[in-house]
Amino acid sequence: MAWVTWRQHRAQLVAAFGLLVALAVAAFATRLPIQAEYHRDALSGCLPPASRSGCDIIVRHFESQFDSWVAALRGLAVLPALAGVFVGAPLLAREFEHDTHRFAWTQGVTRRRWLLWKIALLAAGTVAIAAASSVVVMWWRSPFDTLEGRLSPSGFDVEGVVVPAYALFALAVGVLAGLLFRRSVAAMTATLVTFASTRLIVMYFVRPYVLAPLHRVVIGTDAVPQTGGWVLNDTLVDTAGRQITAGREDLAVLHAQHAGIDPQTYLVTLGWKRVVAYQPAGRFWTLQFIEAGIFVALAAAVILATLWLVRRTPT
Amino acid sequence: MIEFHLDPSSGVATYLQIVQQVKEALRLRTIDVGDQLPTVREVVADLAINPNTVAKAYRELEREGLVVARQGRGTFVSSTLSPKASLAHYDRLRVELERWLAIADEAGLDEESIRALISATLRERLARRVA
Amino acid sequence: MNPAPLDARGLGKRFRREWGLRDCTLTIPHGAVVGLAGPNAAGKSTLLSLAAGLLAPSEGSIAVLGRDPLREPAVLADVGYVAQSAPLYRSFTVAETIEFSRRTNSRWDDEVVHEVLTRISADTKVGTLSTGDRARLALALALGKRPQLVLLDEPFARLDPLAGREFLQLLMDGVAETGATVVIASHVIADIERVCDHIVLLTGGGVRLEGNVEELLESHRILMGPRRPLGSIRGVRSIVRERHGDRQLTLLVRSDGPIVDHSWRVERVGLEELVLAYMAPERLPAPVPPEKVPLRWHG
Repeated sequence: MAWVTWRQHRAQLVAAFGLLVALAVAAFATRLPIQAEYHRDALSGCLPPASRSGCDIIVRHFESQFDSWVAALRGLAVLPALAGVFVGAPLLAREFEHDTHRFAWTQGVTRRRWLLWKIALLAAGTVAIAAASSVVVMWWRSPFDTLEGRLSPSGFDVEGVVVPAYALFALAVGVLAGLLFRRSVAAMTATLVTFASTRLIVMYFVRPYVLAPLHRVVIGTDAVPQTGGWVLNDTLVDTAGRQITAGREDLAVLHAQHAGIDPQTYLVTLGWKRVVAYQPAGRFWTLQFIEAGIFVALAAAVILATLWLVRRTPT
Repeated sequence: MIEFHLDPSSGVATYLQIVQQVKEALRLRTIDVGDQLPTVREVVADLAINPNTVAKAYRELEREGLVVARQGRGTFVSSTLSPKASLAHYDRLRVELERWLAIADEAGLDEESIRALISATLRERLARRVA
Repeated sequence: MNPAPLDARGLGKRFRREWGLRDCTLTIPHGAVVGLAGPNAAGKSTLLSLAAGLLAPSEGSIAVLGRDPLREPAVLADVGYVAQSAPLYRSFTVAETIEFSRRTNSRWDDEVVHEVLTRISADTKVGTLSTGDRARLALALALGKRPQLVLLDEPFARLDPLAGREFLQLLMDGVAETGATVVIASHVIADIERVCDHIVLLTGGGVRLEGNVEELLESHRILMGPRRPLGSIRGVRSIVRERHGDRQLTLLVRSDGPIVDHSWRVERVGLEELVLAYMAPERLPAPVPPEKVPLRWHG
């Protein structure tokens, strides 16, 4: 089955590999100016825990220079979906569309073994390429990771072990969609929609809370209690610890302005504090493994369902 | 080597056509004692007919003592149809036939009915022998 | 005792609201070349798909070489199946397609395939082959497995007469070599008349006719004679079809002995005509007193 899988999917493998190479080349080419700027600004002296005066401004200047590239990198989050849409979905859908399942499924290899082998081999390839792309991105983002942390989606989603996990999940969803819809376009669409919604749900509703966030009282306008942390929310609480509604806050600010006092100082005198809920930078790998684990488990469940269904579904 | 041809519209069973063609070849000395008949596979790959049909034809020829099947090696001609022997019977059979035809005439059978009766009887006779 | 190559009991398959096959009971004898006949949508393809494990029965059961093809798909290693239009991977070359079959079947014999390759170049893409060549390739692949049962679904559709003849030559050679049982579904009897020794006629209501071709041809006759009221005729068990002309009456009958009635002209019937007669929807009652009819003729 190894030969069969290779022969039927070699175009996809070559394309995926080509994409990886293109990514690496682009990463290398864009990294050079970043490296140059880094040295010019002597940013190594500004890396925490080291600190110099004026680091703030230098760092912000550095970051703003490459802002667009960092933002563009977020687009790489779509790469794992390609595994589902262009490899997973057509796997079964194309066989049905061309009627070739009547040929492939009436040989000595049973339907289930045929599918299992294909999924296993394609999954291995997908995970390998996704892991490689993750390594490339981590290498490229290293200065930014140190400076601004990697827990925000622009870093977290495209680095580490989650990338191969996303790709594996997308692949699995694609194969199941191909079995259920039997038509390439429908399967590809369903795969994309399912993948995107699952990712978004996990990203917004699961990831922030898998580990209980830490809380820190923040005085003044400090944005982050710790470099590289991921701020989940930022609330104002009164002396009793109750959250202050926006309405109350607005009233207080108005009052202060009326009285000619700086609003921030006034809030402090009221005894109100800003409490920030965040995930510290050190939790990056823990969160990564938890999320990767979630997607791998989902992928496994989907694959098992597909293997069970493929024998039951009448053609 | 004989090459068989099939006439599906002749009304004659396929296996019988093969039998007849072998006998014809024997009469014409196209094949002789010791020659090998085409293998079942060869006939079948050429004519696209059921191998059982060929096997049946060869069995019939063997039953008539004209060929012998050697296990694993093929079917070989074992004796010829001697024309002399048949000639000797011809005259006698002819006289008998004329007598019989006269009876059939008297019974009111026309030529077609006579032919039909002869064909049917021949066929059934052969079918009984082969079955 | 070897299990029958194909055994169906009360087999039925429903697609949404329509029954593609209903109440099909039949057993196929070993080593037979079976013609599966019937009008379109009679269920021939459905029956073969069920036998190949591509469909699940809605009712009844089917056993191929003694096993259920859905529950024991390993039996398909002994079944050569060619679906309608002989689907193959069009982007594969001929050599790659053969490699595919070689690698997905534990038992493989290159001989049949080599024969086909004498006329088709191994590097041709399957998508560019003529219909005839593709059909022969698909058949060669099915035979290369050295199967015990070969299932062919309308192999002659879209084949010109020469291609059809070549297909049959290859098939019969394969049968002579392997002794496999063959089931050919075809709605054109003439295509398969040459090779079938067993016939199964499927119509919307199940198996209409089934049996050994020679026996069926021996037990049916055409009777022609002047019009007259029908009584019982010596040698005739039942009338299959009646045709009334102005002056002439033509009957297709099932006989149970020699028909010696001189008021009728008796002729043999060809397979195609016999099958067509049984396919007709209207069936006439027998003039002879009803008796126990053997299993083969489903009225």
